[in-house]
Amino acid sequence: MRGTALQANDLTVMYGSRCGVQGIDLTLSVGEGVALIGRNGAGKSSLLRALAGLEPGSSGSVLLRGQIPLSKSVAGGLAYVPQRAQARWDLPFSVIDVVLTGRYRTRRSFRWSSNDRRTAHDALYLVDASDLEHRSIGQISGGQAQRVLLARALVQEPEVMLLDEPFAGLDTAAVDRVAEVVESLMGRGIGVMCALHELDLARRLFPRAIALQDGRLLMDGSTNSVLSPRGIERIFTVSSATS
Amino acid sequence: MSWWNTWLAEPLSSEFMVRALIATVALSVAAPLAGVWIVSRRMVYLADAMSHSMLAGVAGAAILGGSLLVGGLVSALVLALAVSWLVTKARATEDGAIGVAGQALFALGIIGVSYQQDPRALSHVLFGNPLTVTWRDVAVDVVLASVVILGLVLAKPLLIATTFDPQHARTVGIRVGVVDVLLLTALAVIVVVGLVTVGVLMAITLTVAPAVAARMASDRLDIVLLVSAVLGLVAGIGGLFVSYHASLPTGPAVALAATLTVVGAYFFRRLRWGVGRAASRHTHSETMVRS
Repeated sequence: MRGTALQANDLTVMYGSRCGVQGIDLTLSVGEGVALIGRNGAGKSSLLRALAGLEPGSSGSVLLRGQIPLSKSVAGGLAYVPQRAQARWDLPFSVIDVVLTGRYRTRRSFRWSSNDRRTAHDALYLVDASDLEHRSIGQISGGQAQRVLLARALVQEPEVMLLDEPFAGLDTAAVDRVAEVVESLMGRGIGVMCALHELDLARRLFPRAIALQDGRLLMDGSTNSVLSPRGIERIFTVSSATS
Repeated sequence: MSWWNTWLAEPLSSEFMVRALIATVALSVAAPLAGVWIVSRRMVYLADAMSHSMLAGVAGAAILGGSLLVGGLVSALVLALAVSWLVTKARATEDGAIGVAGQALFALGIIGVSYQQDPRALSHVLFGNPLTVTWRDVAVDVVLASVVILGLVLAKPLLIATTFDPQHARTVGIRVGVVDVLLLTALAVIVVVGLVTVGVLMAITLTVAPAVAARMASDRLDIVLLVSAVLGLVAGIGGLFVSYHASLPTGPAVALAATLTVVGAYFFRRLRWGVGRAASRHTHSETMVRS
């Protein structure tokens, strides 16, 4: 029996008077892979952001290793990988500059240590992007950019990774390479919760799926049962609340 | 050597030009280094409004006999608070709030300067006047510029993290708002440093233009930072000497020289692109002949 890496209790996110996520309870075990499924606006990104502590209007509790992730040592166990479009890829930074930013919590001085740099090299190697290390971020493809973001999360040495639509906008070859990296993360004992729209990929990569609708938890179970024809119909049918 | 004597040695025989040169060098290195981050973070409009608004604090400090630096920083803070209030409470758009608050403070500053007995005071504050630079100004400018340069060098990893992806930066424990405030404070200090030499309005051109030019010339951060400082020096020193010889106001001369660095960077980029294209065409032809 694997231990619990991440636990959320009664997690709610409010945007003014609108509810983005409502009363969600969930757990993620060590090394477990969970697909987060739902229509656009179902609350997937809001849930991931709330779990990462990025939603100021959220209530409820998030526990990492059974503790509230307030201290540096605990909060460092959780890595959030936002959608690629959220970052600025038009800037004069190199790939290694970006990956090293994930080491901020462990930084001891104003300069990156040799250990930080070694960790960044290793992370780039793990995501098969060693050749990109000194490349400008403006010169890499979407798939390469996604692997760079995964490397930036890896250098945090997390126990849990929250991935927000890492496959969006990628061609088939790039999807396969990113999928390989995600599989290897789970193989290394990292719990992964991944918001995605690609249902075939969800079935292939993640044994468990959570479906959201209008910010509420609709289904939580094995991916095959959640993404059964009847489950898909429930997930993607416009509810009366939004129609 | 007559060129050297006429253009450089002769002006530097006057002590006020030596003082102005040292102050300009300090500003010309610090301003573009901050400018690289201001441009990268798309804060140019805010920076421009801040330089305008600082006139109010500078004028107020001059009237009350206080420190111009403190006066400038206070008005920069007032601008930030006013913009924040207009955006959060009055639901104004951010650029609208910056425009309104910046112009209001600028107007207050002009009224404040009009209370000065010397009618040239306004133009000196707006566009600078090397004749007014004292050795005390030089010492303050060099110290402040050095602090800004050191701070920017040390904060490079923080600035990369918060410029590339501020949301992620928050998740690794970086206080993005604090970094924004520190960067704007550095900018406010730079405007004060430039006050006596190029004026509050033109300091911002020396901040932005070399940074834009350097970005056009390279996509490597260290090179962009280095080139921006070099171009800043060329524009600052070049503008100062041209203003001396052509009897032009120093601030606008420096600002135009800084703008010329952008034109130069454009042609450099075109040239590099043309050379790159010719080389690739040559390689392609060789491959075709071999096959």
